This record gives sequence, C-alpha cells and structure tokens, in this order.
Amino acid sequence: MAAAAACGGEAAARPPLAFSPHDRRLLAVSGSDGRLRVWDTVGSRLRHEYVPSAHLSAACTCLAWAPPGGRPPPDKDGPQRKKRKSEATGVDKQLDILAIGTAVGSILLYSTVKGELQSKLDGGHDSRINCVRWHQDNCCLYSCSEDKHIVEWNTQTCKVKCKWKGDNSSVSSLCISPDGKMLLSAGRTIKLWDLETKEVYRHFTGHATSVSSLMFTTVKPMNENKAFDGITGLYFLSGAIHDRLLSVWQIRSDRKEKNAVMSFTVTDEPTFIDLTVSELKEEPVKLAVVCRDGQLHLFEHILNGYCKKPLTSNCTIQIATPGNDGDSTPKPVPILAAAFCTDKQSLLLVYGNTLQPIIEKVSLNTNESHICLIRDVQKVLALKTDDAVTKVKTPVVNSDTKVLVPGIPGHSAAVKTPSSGKEKKKSKRKPGETEDSIEERLGALDIDVSKVKTPGGLPQTDSFAVLLVQGLESNDEDILNKVLSTRKETLIKNTVARMPIHAVIPLLHELTKRLQGNPYSASQMVRWLKFVFTLHASYLSTLPDLIPQLGMLYQLMESRVKTLQKLSRLHGRLFLLVTQVAASETVQDVTEVNQTAKLVYEDESSEEEGSDDEMIADKDSDENWDEDEEKEEQSDEQDMTVEKEINGDSDLEPENESEEE
Amino acid sequence: MVAPAALRVVRCGGGALHGARAVFSVGARQAGRFLLCASGDFVKMYSVATEELVRLLRGHGDLVTGVQLAPHNHLQLYSSSLDGTIKLWDFTDGILIKTFTVGHQLLALYALPASEDSVFVIIPKRDTYQLVSVKLTKAAGQDMEAKELSVVLEGVDASPKCTAFGREGEYVASVKDVSLQVYFFKRKQLNRFSLRATNKKGGNNVFTCVACHPHEDCIATGHADGKIRLWRNFNHKKEYTFSTLHWHHDKVLDLAFSVEGTSLLSGGVESVLVQWHSGSDCKKDFLPRLGSAIEYVSISSDGTFYCTSHTDNRITIINSNLRFSKTIQGLIKARDIKTGLVVDPRTKALVLNGEPGHLQFYCLQSDKQLYSLDIVQQEYIHQAGLNQSDLARVAFSAQGKWLATVEEREETDLELQLKLWFFDEETQSFRLNTRISMPHEDHVTAMCFRDMDEMEDDSLMLVTTGRDCVFKVWVILEDTDPEGNWSCDFVGSYHGYQATNCCFSEDGSLLAVSFEETVTVWDSSTWDLKCTFCHPPGKIRTICFGRLTCSKYLIGATDHGFLCCWNLLSCALEWSAHLNVVVLQPDPLSEYIAAFSWLFKESSLFVFKPNEPRPICIQRKFCKERIQFAAFVPRDVPETIGSEKYLWLRRSQLFFLTDTQELMTVSTKSLEERLTLSSKQLAVEESLPVTPFSLLLGKHRQQQSQEDVDLGKIVRHHREQDSPAVKELLHTPAHVLPSASFLCPIFINSLLVSKENKSVEEAPAEVEMESEGAEDDSDEENTVTEMKQEDIMPTESLGETTHKLSKSEEKELRKIRKTDYSWISVF
Repeated sequence: MAAAAACGGEAAARPPLAFSPHDRRLLAVSGSDGRLRVWDTVGSRLRHEYVPSAHLSAACTCLAWAPPGGRPPPDKDGPQRKKRKSEATGVDKQLDILAIGTAVGSILLYSTVKGELQSKLDGGHDSRINCVRWHQDNCCLYSCSEDKHIVEWNTQTCKVKCKWKGDNSSVSSLCISPDGKMLLSAGRTIKLWDLETKEVYRHFTGHATSVSSLMFTTVKPMNENKAFDGITGLYFLSGAIHDRLLSVWQIRSDRKEKNAVMSFTVTDEPTFIDLTVSELKEEPVKLAVVCRDGQLHLFEHILNGYCKKPLTSNCTIQIATPGNDGDSTPKPVPILAAAFCTDKQSLLLVYGNTLQPIIEKVSLNTNESHICLIRDVQKVLALKTDDAVTKVKTPVVNSDTKVLVPGIPGHSAAVKTPSSGKEKKKSKRKPGETEDSIEERLGALDIDVSKVKTPGGLPQTDSFAVLLVQGLESNDEDILNKVLSTRKETLIKNTVARMPIHAVIPLLHELTKRLQGNPYSASQMVRWLKFVFTLHASYLSTLPDLIPQLGMLYQLMESRVKTLQKLSRLHGRLFLLVTQVAASETVQDVTEVNQTAKLVYEDESSEEEGSDDEMIADKDSDENWDEDEEKEEQSDEQDMTVEKEINGDSDLEPENESEEE
Repeated sequence: MVAPAALRVVRCGGGALHGARAVFSVGARQAGRFLLCASGDFVKMYSVATEELVRLLRGHGDLVTGVQLAPHNHLQLYSSSLDGTIKLWDFTDGILIKTFTVGHQLLALYALPASEDSVFVIIPKRDTYQLVSVKLTKAAGQDMEAKELSVVLEGVDASPKCTAFGREGEYVASVKDVSLQVYFFKRKQLNRFSLRATNKKGGNNVFTCVACHPHEDCIATGHADGKIRLWRNFNHKKEYTFSTLHWHHDKVLDLAFSVEGTSLLSGGVESVLVQWHSGSDCKKDFLPRLGSAIEYVSISSDGTFYCTSHTDNRITIINSNLRFSKTIQGLIKARDIKTGLVVDPRTKALVLNGEPGHLQFYCLQSDKQLYSLDIVQQEYIHQAGLNQSDLARVAFSAQGKWLATVEEREETDLELQLKLWFFDEETQSFRLNTRISMPHEDHVTAMCFRDMDEMEDDSLMLVTTGRDCVFKVWVILEDTDPEGNWSCDFVGSYHGYQATNCCFSEDGSLLAVSFEETVTVWDSSTWDLKCTFCHPPGKIRTICFGRLTCSKYLIGATDHGFLCCWNLLSCALEWSAHLNVVVLQPDPLSEYIAAFSWLFKESSLFVFKPNEPRPICIQRKFCKERIQFAAFVPRDVPETIGSEKYLWLRRSQLFFLTDTQELMTVSTKSLEERLTLSSKQLAVEESLPVTPFSLLLGKHRQQQSQEDVDLGKIVRHHREQDSPAVKELLHTPAHVLPSASFLCPIFINSLLVSKENKSVEEAPAEVEMESEGAEDDSDEENTVTEMKQEDIMPTESLGETTHKLSKSEEKELRKIRKTDYSWISVF
C-alpha cells in the first residue's frame, strides 16, 4: 500500500509522456489536469488536445504509442485501381493509436488521427495500470497493474488474450525483447517471461524499490561467435524509484549470475530514460537520463561485461533562465524528457512546464562535462504565437539592430576599417577629455562672449563663427543645433568664411554625421557643405589624408545623388566656378579674422588635433595597400564616367587625382 | 541481384487544396465528422476534429473538379474530374464503388436530392460551356458508361461558383458576364436578366458567383465591384426585384447561404468572411484576418461548421459562431517563387516563399507546414495591382545560425533590403541583426554564405551578386552587439558585366562569381582574381563547385546548352557536354550533382560526378513540366539502396519544384511498397462501452420515435383541434364570459378525442390535402385549418348533447375521458 502511495505521489510529480517511436515526431503528454496533449516535436506546436471523459476520476498513468503500420487491415481491400505514376506521400506510416493506461484499471485506445477514442479495454485489471507496452509486430498490447497481474490484450477484438500473475506485489514496469518472444516485467524483482508459455525464464534481483523503467540496450549479443537464440547475451537497463543508480543486466545462458553487470550513477531518481540501441559491437550505447531534479545526464558506454564501479555521466545538461532583466537570479528550468533523434547525434529536449512544454532539438558535443543552456522560457512561449489561422512566427526585431543605408561606412567597401577605426578613436577621445575640460576651461577663462551676447540682441555673424567653433570643440549638441539650423544663406556664408581653418575638418565631420540623419536636416546641411567647399577648397586640397577623412562624405554624396547624375554634376561644377569667381573678389574684405586671442588659448587643442592627424597618417601608411586599391577603383570609375562631380564634392575629385599623380 | 527498380516521381507537398468546394460529411459527433476536398488528382478526407488527413481517395487521372455527397446516401461521395469520369466512393472505407465515364471534361459537379439518378455537370462545348444532366445507371458493375446527357443550360460559365440550384432543385441559376439566367425545371421556363456592364457610379457589374436560398425563391449574386445582389420574384420576367448589399471593396469570390437561409456568407480578396443577417445591409458580422483571399465558402449540412478555402492552399474550418476552429494547410503556393528551394539546416525543413513577405518552413517528413516566418513585417494590403515587398533571396549559414534575406519592392524604382537574422537560442527565434537597404543598386541575383562548419564564427562571410555589375562581400565586424554586426568588406566587379551567380568552394578558399559569359574565381582571403573561365557563346546560367573528392572541379551550365566542367588546378576545361541544363544542384553530403534539363517540353534528370563525364543516372522525360528549383535534403538515416545506380539517393533526398509549383521527389521504392505501407494501419476495432447517459438517451429516443409513429398524427390533430375552443375561451373578455360551471364541460369536452368522428372525417381531409398539396404552402395551411374548424363544430355540438345522453353512454364517455387524460399527461 505504501508503494502505491509512493507511486501516486510520483505520478503527480512527473506526468506520463511518450515520444512517438522511430522518428520522434510527436510527443504525447498527459498533464496533471488529466488532458492529453499531443505536441509536434519540430516547431513544438500543440497538435491537439483530448480530454478523456473520466479524466478526473481515472487519471492517466502511462502512455504508449502503437507502432506505425502494424498488420494490414483484415479485408476491405479496395478494387484494383490504375497505378498512377505520381502519388501522394504523407499517409504512409501514419502514427495513430495511443494507448492510455488509467488509474482505475482500464486502458483507452485513442486515435490521434481521428481525434476520438477508438476503444476501451476493460475487464483486465481492477487497479491502477503501471505500464503499457505494444508488441512491435502483432499489435498485441501488454499491460501491468497494481493488482499483480500482467494482461495480454488483443487490440483487434479488444479482448483479454491472456492474464497471469506477474509478481507477489504490484508489477510496475514491462519491456518486450527485441525479437518479440520474451517479456521483461518488474516489481521489486525483474522477471523474464517466455511469451508463448508464459513461464518465467530468468529472475534478476537487486533493486530495493520497485522498478520504474526497463529497457533493452542491445539487439544482438556482443560476441558473435556463439549462436544467438534471440535473448541470450542481451543487455538491459533498469531504473527504480528513489534509486540513484541505473543497473545494467545481462541475460546469460547459465542461470547462476543474477546480479547487475554494471551501473550508472545519476544525481537524482531517474524519471525519463532514452537510449540509442547499439547494433554493432564497437558502437557505444548512448543513454540520456532525465532526473527528478530536472537535470539530464548523458552516458556513452560500450557494453562489455562487468564493471565494478558505477559509471558517472559524460555530460550533464541543465537549463536556466538568463536572469538579466526583471528577475535578477537565473532560475533553473526543469528538463522533462529527452530523446535521441534518428541520427543518434542530436537530442530532443523537452523542458518547461508540462502544460506547455518547449521542445528543442540540440546537437551537443559531449566533450564538455557540464553544459548549461540558457533559455528564456517566457519569451519562447510568447513567441510561439498560437494564432489558429496561420502559423505565422514573427522574428524579433529590436531597435538596436544596425541599419546600413547607402553612404554609411560599411555599406559598400570603399570606406573601410581605417575610417571606422578612426571614428572609434575619436569617440573614445572626446568624452574623455574635451567635453568637460574645454567647457571648464572656457568657463574658467571667462571668454564666453557669445553666451553673453546671444540672449541679448540679434546674433551676429562673427559670434556665430565663434559659437560654431565652440560647439565643434565641446561637441555641444545645443550650440551646434542652434548654429546649423540657420537658413540665411549670407549668414552661413559669413560664418563659414570667418571660422578658423582648423575647424573645417571637424565641421565637415559634423555635417557628414548630420547628413546621415533625417532628410530634412540633410537639406540644411547641404547648404553648409556648399559654402565650406567653395570657401575652403584650397585648404582642403592641401590635406594629405583627405580621402580617409572625407571618403565617407563622398560616398554619401555619391549614393544620394543617383538620379540625374550628370546634370547635377554639371550644375555643381558651374556653381563652383561662378561662386569662386564671385568670391575671389568679395572674400578679401571679409577675411580679416579678429579672433586671434581665442586662437592662442586653444593652441593646445590644435596641437592635439595635429598629433591626431599624424597618428591617422601613420595608420594610413600601415594600411596603405587598402587605399591604393580604393584609389585604383576610383580611378577606374572615373575612367568610365567621364565627369564625376557633384555640387558639394566636386572639388574633391580633382584633388584625388592630383594626389595620385 | 535484384533488378533495379525504376526511379519514380512522387508528388508531395499537399497538392492544391482548392480545386473545388469542400464538403462536410455528416456525423453524429464532431469527432466523427470529416471534411472532403479535392486536392490535385485526389480527394482528401480530413478529420474536422484533428485536422489530420484520414484518407486519400485516389483514382482520378486528372484534376478533381467537383466533390459532392451522394444525396441519398451520405456515406457515399461523387467526385468529378477533368479526365471525364464521375466516381462514386464509399469514403469511410476509401473504396471506389463505381466509375461513370462521361467522355467530356467535367468542370463542375452538382448532385441534388430531388433528382434521384442523375447529377449535373458542366462540360465544354466548343468555346462555351453547357450545363447538362447525366443519368447515372444503377446497374451493377464497376465501370459504367454514362452517355445519357441532356442539356439544361447553354452558355454557362465554366466556374462551379457561377451555377447554383435553388429550392429543392426547382430551378437553376447561372451567371455569366453581366447576365443571370434562371431555368425552372417544372415549367421549363428560362428567364434572363442582364445588367449594364457598368453602372452610373462606375461600378463593375460583372457577375462573379451565385448562390440560391435553400427555402425561399431568392438568389444572391456576387459582382466584380464587391456588391452582392439579392434577387427576388424572378419567376416573372419583368417584375423582378433586387436589393443590394455592399461591403466588399473588390470582387466577391464566393457566396453561401446558411442551412436555414437566415444568413448569407460572402468572401473575397479582403480575406474577411462576412456574415449578412436576414438579407439586410446593416446587420453583418465579420471574421477578419483570414490570411489570404477566400476562394470558396461552404457550410456543413447541419450548419455547425463553415469552411473557407483560400488561394494560398489552405482550408479554414470555422465554427458557426464565427470562431476559428482548425486550419488545414498545404504547401503555400506563392505567386512567384523567387527564393528557390533552400534547406534550413536546423529543422531540415524546406524553406521557400510563402505568403507575400513570409518565408514558409515546410517539414518534409510530416508533409506539413512548420511555420511561416514574417520577414517583411509590413501589413499586406489585399488589393489587386499593388506592388508590395516580397522576398527575393534567402540563404542560411551552414549551421543555420544566420539567415540572410533579400526583399524587394518594385514600384517606379527598386527598393531592396538585405536583412541578416541571427538565430537566438535563448528565445528560440530569429533576431534581426543588421538591415542593409539597397545593398545593390539593382536586383540581387544570387547570395551565398561561406559554408565552413568548424570555423563559422570567425570566417563567416556572405556574398551577394547584383545586376549592378558588382558582387559584395559582407563580413561581421565586432561591434556593440555580442554577435557583431555585418558590414561590407569588399566590392568586386569584372569589366562592367552583370554578376549573375556566386558559389564558394567546399573549403571556402575560393569564390566563383559568374559575370554573364565569364566565370571568375577569386581568392577569398586576399580577394585577388585568380582565373577566369568561359565557354562562349552563351551566358552562364548556374555554377557550382564539386565536393569531397571532386573539389578541384567547377561545373557551369550555359544558356546555349552546354554543361562544362573546369579543372581548377590546370585551369582548363575538363569536359563539356551538350545539354540544356536548367537547374544544377550539388548534393552537400556527397560528390554527386543533379542536373535537370529541359528539352522538347520534357524534363530530364542527369546525375553525375564531376570527375567522370559519364552520368551515373539518366532519367529521361520523367516530368512534363519544367523544373524551376531543386534541393537535396539530407536524410536522417542513410537509406539502404540496393541498386548501384541509385546510390546517390542514399544520403539525401532530391526534391524539386515545377513551374506549376508542384513539389516532387524521386523515390526508388516501388509503388506496391509504398501502397502497402500506406494501407498498413493498425486495425483496431471500435468498441466503446455505452455510457449510462447514452443508454438513457438511446432509450428515450427510441421511445419517442415509436410514440411518434404510433400517435404522432393523432396528437397533432388533437392539438390543432382544441385550439379554437380554447382560444375562444381565452380570448373572450372575462366580463362577458358565462359562469365557470357552464364553461367547464365545454372546455373539457373540447379536449376529448372523439374517435368515431375522426376516423370518418380524417380520411377525406387527408385526401383533400394531398390533392391540394401540389399548390402553394400557404394555401395548404389555410385549407387545413378550415378543415379543422369544420371538424370542431360537430364535436362541440356533440359535447352539448352529451348532457342529455343516457347514463350508460355517460359512463362510457367518462371512461374515455379518464383514459384520454392518462395518456395526455404523458406529454
């Protein structure tokens, strides 16, 4: 009686579940609510759900899938049809019948295809069914029960074929031998029955508690020299309740040896066992044991005779939640079952809760002794949109995905690692030094003339230039926004004309950055660019590292002005000519820059800039071949397109060429 | 030695499910109910409860066009096909009972309860189609000739939706273009109604479908502009009326009346099922977001289930309260498959275009759709003529860790997006890592990952080729993301030719890119152009590297019908063959390469090893359709194949997709083997114990039916009879009523059954009823009630006279009264 209670408690802890034979395509789980759910193992979708009429009173205790395609149906052979060349696949080897053992002693045969109960096997047992097993060939069903009996059923007629007393206490587990002629049964002791005569062939003793699982591990004996009678020399495995050892037994021709050949040790009571049957002598048996504590142990062992010491697992797998957001500590996720796929390499893991388990196929390298898989169970469940109409899955699109649009470095190869590396460097430098220190310094030196001026009257162009330089150096978004959002052309022109020469490159970088932003601001920036290029073309042409500096801008331009390329280039060139001619007269009288004093203060920073440039130059020389290639490419392109000038960077091109030459 | 079995082409992937309206079989329980639908050459039977395929009825030689339950035996089924036969099936056991050969192509099938031994079919007659009735002989024997055709209507539309039979088969309505014709069988009268092609508001009045009310004279027609018209009074040529229902913005694709006729279901390209109540415009229910355009709507005979067939090869089963119940999904037929067949290494599923903007993952083992992945993530607008983003290219990395997709939208200029998805194990789903807009300035022609299993992480590389004459190499740069982000590493071009194909060698050291007529081979570490190959004239159609022992070979097929094999060590042409290769598909697990050729409207399959110019397997003319794409899918377990010739099928299975989007595979197993496998099923007899409730119900039902038989008529008459007297009593105002003592006997007597009277009077009444039965229903009822009133008068007078009757008679009467009461109380 105590055993029964224990069994009941155990059943509450772990629900009966069964993988469909051979290809493990389906998983049947009977939840604690008495519902039977069938899951697809690929995609882990709920196939269907069945509620037995007496699911509360007669809870499901064990499950077993019928072998796919047993005997052909007795008659009802359709008339001869014309054989067509093409035919449909899909219906062959359909899995259908699922045997459900209940707590009151009846067995239900459920058709998963039709979704209805096929038949009910009654009258064999009068107590809880502990195990049901299908015979692999002749669609017989074997069941064992608390009532100490083993029953052989004929499923065609749904009648008891044979019933015999299996043990002095309850029979808890069954297993049919690979050749189908013998049956293993176990209560406390394991018995091997001859199925024809229903006589005990062998006894095996060793387990102190009732055996919960029995499995044959080999189909052929390991030493081939002896004649094989179908059973002698085979190994089988057994696991018992409250026992942390799995025993392996060998069926021998002499009746003397009754102890276990070897044993595997696990961390807790085994709840689900799957193994790959070894067919060759040198092929190891792979064993996956799921324990009550939710861990999975993998063993790999070549069975050959005795082994005194219990073997420990080759690999232990645990699953845990990531635990970085929300809940701070990672929580373990229990593994419910595991099964080897047909290729014997990958493993199907079933984890989570029994009501909605997650089934995942993992291929593992068992070299590592301990693997912890991190799975976000909540998210996986949330992603499994069980929208009944269409099986649409929506992949995750985070906001932090990288977006590459034409013109951004990395979109096309012309600008490569040097520029991006440099950007990184800059970004590293800027927050470290400049931002705070310059502001502080400016504050300390009390030269914030502009700040005093601006709130007052109209902003003047010279103060704009100052502001701009300040903004560029301190990387101050506010100031830059204020300055760069000007629309007045003359204001822009004057500002650009009055800004110190060393600020040109930073300004260009800033403009490039803003050009990549939204198109509205881009149109603003183009104005600035125009004036920078018209007024500072001569300075820019002297720079040695112009291509890496402005390559990105060039690309951006290239990609942005795809339409009407030639026209825009012509426009650019003409505009440049006209403005430069006009500017050559006017520039002289504006250029007296009166901010020499401020330039003195910023000497250090300009030095820094210089040193930086040197560094960059060094880097460039390191990766010179890269650039050469690019240049070649560019010259190639220039060959192809006769004129390649855009309004903004029109003056870049001739410089490139001049540099190369 | 076993004689090598011939290689056979086997169709898989579900076939087209929407050939004809699906029908529900009738069953007492929900679980016992099946859905029967035409699917290619087969009729498929699905369980309504589990959406599983229960049975496959095979036997037709061409597309099945109509499926109808036999009207007098609902365990039998008629099916018609383009091969000109009507077959009668016992679908519960999957037995073909009879085949009637009609001899014409059959485009639609209608079976009516009214016509015992004939069915209606639509057959072609030169350019037009006609509706004919076919007499099905009842003679014994399996194969019958059914040549007794009689034309019912000329010039009907070929679509089965454009013809419908009205109330108990009294008339047939058929629409074509802008005309509706109604033919009354009894009167042999044909009424034609036509609409103007366009109405004032510019709507398109062309008819698209028709449905008839089950009980009333009412026809619903759907129109191309989304209107539904309800026609009444159409037995008069002039005084017909119609009302208009309008919700659909585009073509109404199908209509169906509910069983009682109280509501009308309509569906269209909006993929919304609309339920109109009692023919009014204001009361309607919707079931939106059904996924794709609704092709057919059908209703189970008891009205508990609706079912919609969709253009994407799906059937949705809907409860009568407009809630989804189940879906049956075949391989989604996309309008245009651009992605080709790709195998997902993770799930071993076949990946190809599904619904617009989605990728479908199709599990080949279970022949079912796994899921479809929404890549574009834009709302699909169900409207004709809109250009919407769709997937053009798909590639998986070797372990399935990365997925690259290219989507394109062609409006005035091209919009391209290259998306790189990372498979996040933590959440078991793909996560967008990098999105690249306009990776090329023109269409992306090919895309491949560098397949290197062991060093996937550091040397992963993606190559895209475009019609903008360049190929781009994308690599992962370590960045903020733990997996890194993708960016361009190299842009290569060759003399301004369009890049058409790309392919990595097995070890990943070489990249072959074809530029129109030339194949260029690049070193993947330095991006140097190593060598070029060409085989003029003719542009390169496909290229691939050899594998394993043949990795020194590069195979290319030109569109001038040459298959070339170049040796990469000697940089020379090894061999070439004159073969118009359409698809070239290397097996990832062996050195075999499959080539499909297209010649004289037949496809042939050649399997070869690159190191020997002689093919290992030639399968000429094995398919009449052009092969579009092919894929080798690795088997889980190597199959044991006896014949040397088919050793190439051991490790992987070859799947291919034809022009008509039929997914096929080749199999070495003989037909018998497969057939026996399919028919092999565990035969378990159904033996369910009777539950107490069903026992009770069964007893009750039996009793009731018996009572109905015994007493039904009398009871009914009795009730009708007492109504006037009781009515008089109840409807008279209380203040004018006589005293209760006076009323009591009248009332009681009115409840009495006077048997003598009845037996005499009933017989003529019934005779009269029968004679009048041919007339209208309403008339019939009137006469019946009149009859009853006449009937009552004598009984009442009889009741009054009973007071003056002798005691003996009174006693007898009381006795009758008592007995009568006892059995009345039962009710």
